[in-house]
Amino acid sequence: MNPIRSIAQISATGLLVTCLSAPFSLSAQQTRADAEKDPVLKAMLQELDRSKSQLQLTGFEKPFYIQYRIVDVDGFDTKAEYGASEGTQRNHQRVARVIVRVGDYKTDSSGGRGDGALLIAALDDDPIAIRSALWSATDQAYKAALAAYAQKQAALKQVQTPPQADDFSKETPIISLAEPAHLKLDEAAWTERVAHDSGLYRSDPAVKASQEEIEYSSARFHARALTTWLVTSEGAIVRKSSAEYEENFGVGTQAEDGMRLERSYASNGTSLKDLDTADAFAKRAVGLIASLSDLRKAPLVEEEYHGPVLLSSDAGADTLQGLLGNAVTATRPKLGTEARTNGPFASSYHARVLPEALEVVDDPTLKSFAGKGLVGAYDVDDEGVPAQAVKLVADGKLQSYLIGREPVKDFPQSNGHGRAGVTGGPRSAIGVLEIVAKDGLSDEDLNRKLLAMATDRSLKNVYFVATLGGEFNPRLLYRVSADGTPSGKRELVRGAVLSDLDPRALRSGIEAVGKESFVANYYGEVPETVIAPALLLDEVTVRRANEKNDKLPFYPAPE
Amino acid sequence: MMKLPFSVSGRIALRFGPLALLAILTLALPAVLNAQQQAEPVLLNAMTSELNRAFTSLGKKPVKPGDGKQLPPYFLSYAVSDASAVAIRAQYGALVSSGSIHQRVADVQIRLGEPKLDNTHGNHRGSAVNSVDLPLGDDRAALARTLWMATNAGYGNAVDNYLRVKTEAEVRAKEEDNSPDFSQEQPQVDLAKPAPPVVVDRAVWEQRVRSLSKIFREFPDVYQNVVMLTVQNETDYFASSEGSRVIAPHLQARLVAFAMTRADDGMDLFRAQTFEAQTVDGLPSEAEMATAMRELGKSLEALRKAPLTEPFDGPAILSGRAAAVFFHEVLGHRLEGQRQRGDEEGQTFTKDLGKEVLPTFLSVSDDPTQTSFGKTWLSGSYTFDDEGQKARRVDLIQDGVLKTFLMSRLPIASFSASNGHGRAQTGRMPTGRQGNLIVTSTKTETDAALRAQLIEEAKKQGKPFGLYFEDISSGFAVTTRSSPQAFQVIPLVVWRVYVDGRPDELVRGVGIVGTPLAAMKRILATSDKSEVFNGECGAESGTVPVSAVAPAMLVSEMETQRQPQGTARPPILPIPGVDTLSTASALEAK
Repeated sequence: MNPIRSIAQISATGLLVTCLSAPFSLSAQQTRADAEKDPVLKAMLQELDRSKSQLQLTGFEKPFYIQYRIVDVDGFDTKAEYGASEGTQRNHQRVARVIVRVGDYKTDSSGGRGDGALLIAALDDDPIAIRSALWSATDQAYKAALAAYAQKQAALKQVQTPPQADDFSKETPIISLAEPAHLKLDEAAWTERVAHDSGLYRSDPAVKASQEEIEYSSARFHARALTTWLVTSEGAIVRKSSAEYEENFGVGTQAEDGMRLERSYASNGTSLKDLDTADAFAKRAVGLIASLSDLRKAPLVEEEYHGPVLLSSDAGADTLQGLLGNAVTATRPKLGTEARTNGPFASSYHARVLPEALEVVDDPTLKSFAGKGLVGAYDVDDEGVPAQAVKLVADGKLQSYLIGREPVKDFPQSNGHGRAGVTGGPRSAIGVLEIVAKDGLSDEDLNRKLLAMATDRSLKNVYFVATLGGEFNPRLLYRVSADGTPSGKRELVRGAVLSDLDPRALRSGIEAVGKESFVANYYGEVPETVIAPALLLDEVTVRRANEKNDKLPFYPAPE
Repeated sequence: MMKLPFSVSGRIALRFGPLALLAILTLALPAVLNAQQQAEPVLLNAMTSELNRAFTSLGKKPVKPGDGKQLPPYFLSYAVSDASAVAIRAQYGALVSSGSIHQRVADVQIRLGEPKLDNTHGNHRGSAVNSVDLPLGDDRAALARTLWMATNAGYGNAVDNYLRVKTEAEVRAKEEDNSPDFSQEQPQVDLAKPAPPVVVDRAVWEQRVRSLSKIFREFPDVYQNVVMLTVQNETDYFASSEGSRVIAPHLQARLVAFAMTRADDGMDLFRAQTFEAQTVDGLPSEAEMATAMRELGKSLEALRKAPLTEPFDGPAILSGRAAAVFFHEVLGHRLEGQRQRGDEEGQTFTKDLGKEVLPTFLSVSDDPTQTSFGKTWLSGSYTFDDEGQKARRVDLIQDGVLKTFLMSRLPIASFSASNGHGRAQTGRMPTGRQGNLIVTSTKTETDAALRAQLIEEAKKQGKPFGLYFEDISSGFAVTTRSSPQAFQVIPLVVWRVYVDGRPDELVRGVGIVGTPLAAMKRILATSDKSEVFNGECGAESGTVPVSAVAPAMLVSEMETQRQPQGTARPPILPIPGVDTLSTASALEAK
């Protein structure tokens, strides 16, 4: 789980996309001639043609599939600590990745991760230099594919059960040429802004009285524009682009007993417009700093609790990303088994995985949600297949998996979810994952229900998780009193960890779901978005984390 | 010295001390020093006051009432490296990256216990350094707070390691070398002017780097090339609880070209060419560098067609450049002080002090204060080492007799003090390292006479030829007892010099076997001209820039064999652009 992701409370109106599995429409029928106006594509196609017609080692097979991908990454980072800049970095590079497959669609050289070869490519649009990098990577990838293909043939002879699906799916090649992305921003202004934000602990009147206690206070701005060119020997030609922007802030201290207390916040999106204004961001940061004083005073959580827990939509999104994110993707099972895929939902096709009231869709074509840019969105995946909205769970039952061009049993085609990081090979991954309930409750009703559950079970208190940080570690956890004095009173507690948040809890432990949705943008190797509601869970364990408490500072902070 | 996140190879770490002479003069003049104090940079001032506050606070009071008293440190130092750099890189004739960076890193070193036995003992040495990124500007509060957090973390670590050192000391047998862990030294105060910001005309140099890389298009069998310019201006600020306050600027511009080919039998062949100067304007002209690129390309094309070597044991000449690398790797590393101490170290020379280790006509010194040799800049120069000690010339071997070692502040049985050679990459604990290793000879001959003597020697030994090592690359130094007693040196360009007057013949795949150290005792004579090798040297304390200067040498016996070769085939298709190239060269030919 990525602790750095967006926070934006968004009301759920007009939530579900209307047309699922909409066919990809080719805008104005772009052609190879259009593509060749782009010097990068032109060079890539020229080298691809040469490899396709000439690349063959005497006595061995020619490749049956070659893919060239070049990603232009233009990034800017600036970071600050304690109110002063620690520096900036502008990084502009192009990375070429070549995939060569030997054999045929049924059985080919593909195997473990790391198929293909990687090389830094020219920033200049110099055709010979661009082709040279591709040439070198192709040579390496082809030789590796020949070796892998021989190994694959040998491995197949060792197993009785044949593979349950082909190695590579046949897809209709498309030509899709989007505008390239460019990074345009005021670097100096952002550098100044993060410096200011990182110094709020000592400059803002609301919190500066407690500045002695602050052990770190850092802010960072990150921006990245990506343009990807992709061509395949099957005839696909794709140019696509994306951008990500994020400002984040982190602050930490220790409680009297040495426990580390940390808060962080990030505002992000696909354009600068998605980000908080300077004032709004500073206000959130000051709120975080102030919350540390509350956390320092907060009592330790009780030793162990089993019972109802309400996860805010923010915490709900993190939880569902952690539990569903990998479960709904299909990956090639181990050779010689009859398995369909891997992971917790490997055998769950058509089985119930969530309560009946819940639906799950992954729709990468959803670019924004209530005005907020979604980083997980895209039009064409990294195997040149158009993105499709996939209904994963309906009436609580698993209907499909997210898949790229490596088929599994019953899923012979890609549904446009073969995604890759800048340097990695494609793998199946979520894009924009939406979880919605047919009859979601308001926050008030969720609270009422939480307290009613407490009364039913004669519990003195129950819990509300406002935010999570890291793997099921609540950052802001409230003990909600249920014994009437006054009922529903929330008290901040610290030092807890959650457990029993697992597939079983999802399947049969969800009591109610909120109707408001939260948008969480995750920046990983492959950016993802999860749109999720609050979750009221029937039975979760809350217990004391009992982590090592480091010494307090050995001497006082400077003036 | 700071290593900035530029190079793909992770080897770019530049350091240079241009004001060596100036610094010697100012050190001796307290009046000048006072004047300088007034202009003391905020950074050094913030370092000094935060250091004093930490040193007087740590271990004085329990963290919380009721806690036990903490141990006070006996030594604390802040070494801040402030570096700005421009790096431009091209391959296959086009730019692949071009950027600039400014970064400050503080290394906090804390010592607990006493110099005789402290938290850095034995293999705990690396744990005494804690590194942190520091704010770039003059915000005192932010600087102080960053240093405070780093000192806290470092102190906690030091306490932990000290307790373990004490326990280990009680349970183990007596050590072979029971010298103290830290030497006594005089505090150093020298406030030189900080390095100016890097000034590089990016557009001009981008075009130059691109053009140099493009030259390799004339050599279609050169499958890979990288040309990279790095210009780094760095200022090192040092403050210690002993009262040292040092500002030492280092400037260096470096252009590196690397090219690779592969022989038909799969042997990978590479060569590198570097140019160093204090500033970018001091680098050679584009024409001169272009000529060097062409030499590199030609040499690789010749090498891939050269016959494979056969095992050979006989006389050889090492060119000045090859001899410089050879001495740096084979001799220099073994003269690093700490290698005489550890139970795990080779200790090749530990018992050889005062004994003849080389022919008597050879002397070896290491002199970081020498900034150039002839017209060539020496990249291993510096004014103060990374422990704040003044750089000085050290005569390691005089007339063949071993006199001393390269010393950091880690004492050894035979020497208790530093001689200004404690060096490290930012974030590492300094150890004794080379700076500018300079080999001199009193038995010199012209190159022609040396060659004649090689042929004579080969005839005498009944060999059809002798070997001429034109270029040698260094590998990583290994001296632990469990490994072979050999520093890796990889001959790149080797010729057979026939006794019967046939033209010299290039061979490839030559590997040196046996004990290279033994070959040094068999040096018969040297050339009257010396050559410089500028490079970067990696060892336990990280990557540091170094130089080595040596004359060509005739060795009566060098044992060689065929080095292990790769098995990958050369590329299947020709490199792109070959067609256009042949047209171009056809035009050129007219």
